[in-house]
Amino acid sequence: MHSFIHFIMGPMVWISFMIFFFGVIFRFLKMFKLINEKEIFIYTYMSLKYSFRSIFAWLIPFLPVSTRKSPVFYSISYIFHLLLFLVPVCLLSHVLLIEESVQWSWFAFNDSVSDTLTLVIIFSLIFFMVRRIVVPEVKFLTKPSDFIFILIVGLPFVTGFLAFHQFFAYRWLVIAHVLSGELMLILIPFTRFSHMFMAPFTRAYTGSEFGSVRHAKDW
Amino acid sequence: MQDKDTLTTNAKDVIDEGVEKGLSRLTPEKISKVINQVLTKETGARFKAYVETCMRCGLCADACSIFLSNDRDPRFSPAAKVKQTILEMIKKKGKVSKLFLKDAVRIAHAECNVCKRCSMYCPFGIDIAYMMLLVRRICHKLEITPLYIQDTVNSHSATMNQMWVKEDEWIDTLQWQEEDAREEFKDLRIPLDKDGADIMYSVIAPEPKFQAGLIYQAAVIMHAAGLNWTMPSTPGWDNSNMAMFTGDFEISGRIAKAHYEAAAKLHVNKIVMGECGHAFRSVYDVGNRWIGWTMPPVKLVHAIDFYHDLLTSGRIKIKEKYKKTVTLHDPCNVSRGRGLHEKAREIVNILCESFIEMTPNREHNYCCGAGGGVINCGPPWKNTRMVNNREKKEQLERTGAKVLIAPCHNCHSGLEDIIEYYGVEMEVKFFGDIIYEVMEKEIYQKRRLK
Amino acid sequence: MKLKQCIFIMMILLFVTAFSAYSKEDIPTADNSAFKHPQRPAAVFDHDEHNEKANLEDDCSYCHHVYENKKLIKDESSEGSSCSECHPLKSSLKNAIPLRTAFHKRCKECHFKSDKGPVLCGECHVKKAR
Repeated sequence: MHSFIHFIMGPMVWISFMIFFFGVIFRFLKMFKLINEKEIFIYTYMSLKYSFRSIFAWLIPFLPVSTRKSPVFYSISYIFHLLLFLVPVCLLSHVLLIEESVQWSWFAFNDSVSDTLTLVIIFSLIFFMVRRIVVPEVKFLTKPSDFIFILIVGLPFVTGFLAFHQFFAYRWLVIAHVLSGELMLILIPFTRFSHMFMAPFTRAYTGSEFGSVRHAKDW
Repeated sequence: MQDKDTLTTNAKDVIDEGVEKGLSRLTPEKISKVINQVLTKETGARFKAYVETCMRCGLCADACSIFLSNDRDPRFSPAAKVKQTILEMIKKKGKVSKLFLKDAVRIAHAECNVCKRCSMYCPFGIDIAYMMLLVRRICHKLEITPLYIQDTVNSHSATMNQMWVKEDEWIDTLQWQEEDAREEFKDLRIPLDKDGADIMYSVIAPEPKFQAGLIYQAAVIMHAAGLNWTMPSTPGWDNSNMAMFTGDFEISGRIAKAHYEAAAKLHVNKIVMGECGHAFRSVYDVGNRWIGWTMPPVKLVHAIDFYHDLLTSGRIKIKEKYKKTVTLHDPCNVSRGRGLHEKAREIVNILCESFIEMTPNREHNYCCGAGGGVINCGPPWKNTRMVNNREKKEQLERTGAKVLIAPCHNCHSGLEDIIEYYGVEMEVKFFGDIIYEVMEKEIYQKRRLK
Repeated sequence: MKLKQCIFIMMILLFVTAFSAYSKEDIPTADNSAFKHPQRPAAVFDHDEHNEKANLEDDCSYCHHVYENKKLIKDESSEGSSCSECHPLKSSLKNAIPLRTAFHKRCKECHFKSDKGPVLCGECHVKKAR
């Protein structure tokens, strides 16, 4: 048992990060290969200035008209994505584990703060799930896999929350927590989660076209 | 609810002979061959990224006036159109039924104006118009393009203009307008093929066909402004391009090329085009790319830009401002497509006394509902188009203006249809109409220059 | 019906196990008084019971070690002094291993090696019953 725990909390973490990291690189290489083969013109139209103009405009809450049309969804989505990074990265237990293994250390939230923020993440996911069922235009677009994605994202947070409060089966919850976190990390490059690194590029291309060719805003 | 169902069944019941006959010719092998050829050979990283990155969040829905016009029927949201067409083709590896294709033609040709408004509402900037044009490309290769728009493409292909205008007809029309305009200006000319002129003026084929008065007005404006201009007598004078909207990129490229070549032959400095949006998109943004030009090889000036220059430089002077309250429709292809909306507003304020803004406006304006080749699909699709334009009608009504300025031919015709169909009390005008009405009819003298 | 029953039984089991785990009273813990604002409850630790189980009764210096110039001095032990006397709260030039890390490593490394004892956060820092 101890060696299994040691494996999933030690080497497996690094393996997952490597798969994530090399997966992303692989996806990028594939994308650039495809661009070079068929759409070399993309480089011609890509403009650094307008790419960043578009990306930054879309990072400012409620600047894009679209964000003002669905304020509730946007606010929740914005906060969710922010916390999705912040909470795991700045969780005291994670920071400690990393400090103890490689002597790097950085800012960590108080446990009570992380606890509340985790609840925010879980409720955001529930909101997304309900939205997929309740809002007709979203329901029409929703596939079963969309719920699986929500589940995969939710699992590490739910198990982490339960484990922190030590409600039951502590050891199993931690194991589930670690494994589900690693699963999500591994899946990012190869599934729709890849919007994490692809979205800036699609945004940048549209931003470039709108900016340098069409002389118009795209938000 | 019942209304909604009848509407959609109506749309499904539309009989378009081009589509029907095309479908009857198809075999399952041909269908899957063509679809796979387009999907694998003609798409690349962009398409892959769009398909794989969309999170199906549905935010694009609110961008689409057709979705809004259909009581937010989920089938009309931009992403839903992708789901019902190209995603299904990918999923089934091209093995789709004729019934599916009939729906795909309807969705891509009649229920999307390829106005690109949705790419401004998608957080990832996914270009759904591009994917709808890809569906149209497939339809073109399967030869199931709607009849009327296919006819305009055939005309392009045979005559290099959209309306089967013959060469002598074209020259005759120009001379006829020149003759008429001489009653206002003694020495007015519509110079044909004048080598080394500053400006080549180009129009879309419907102008000589049935709106010759617009050429008259343009000639008067050119003459009064004292410009060195010309029009080509040979093919290449028509800047319109319906092939761009049917996915017939080969012909689309030929049309744009003929246009640039006409300008090159005449050694002009720039092409000034009449008030047309899709034509501008063709020669400024799309056609040039197909024939290998990052940006157009000749300087292209849209009428809005041109009039703005004439009015602010004082080449055209205003006698008296236009009295009626006006509102302005921003054509997608020159606002979202070229950012000319601010200049358009400045022109309105120079020309007119009272101006009411339409909301949404500028880059966010709704399409007229006719754009993207939708109006060109002709009579079979007119009723469904009118239903899909309800949101636009409401937008027009909210302004309460008497006159609607639409600096685009497509928009002009589409908006007139809406006004007639819904009984909106409004008059649609071009900028040219108003300038012609309020301008000083005297020839500009270079007084300020020594 | 069946699903609802299952959920109900699971809920009951959940609560029973959750509270039964904390029914022990006065669990002896390690001394955490050196930490100013401890975020977790002090680690469960019964010195004598632990040493009995771990066979460490004769070898105090295994945990109560003495380092001089970064070298372990064999057979010398530091029972009389508290850990925080050498291990500061934050790592310094004098001692690179801060107190918190020292505690964690001391316990976990041994437990992993011997395949015995608690290794996960909550297995030592047990939340007290309310």
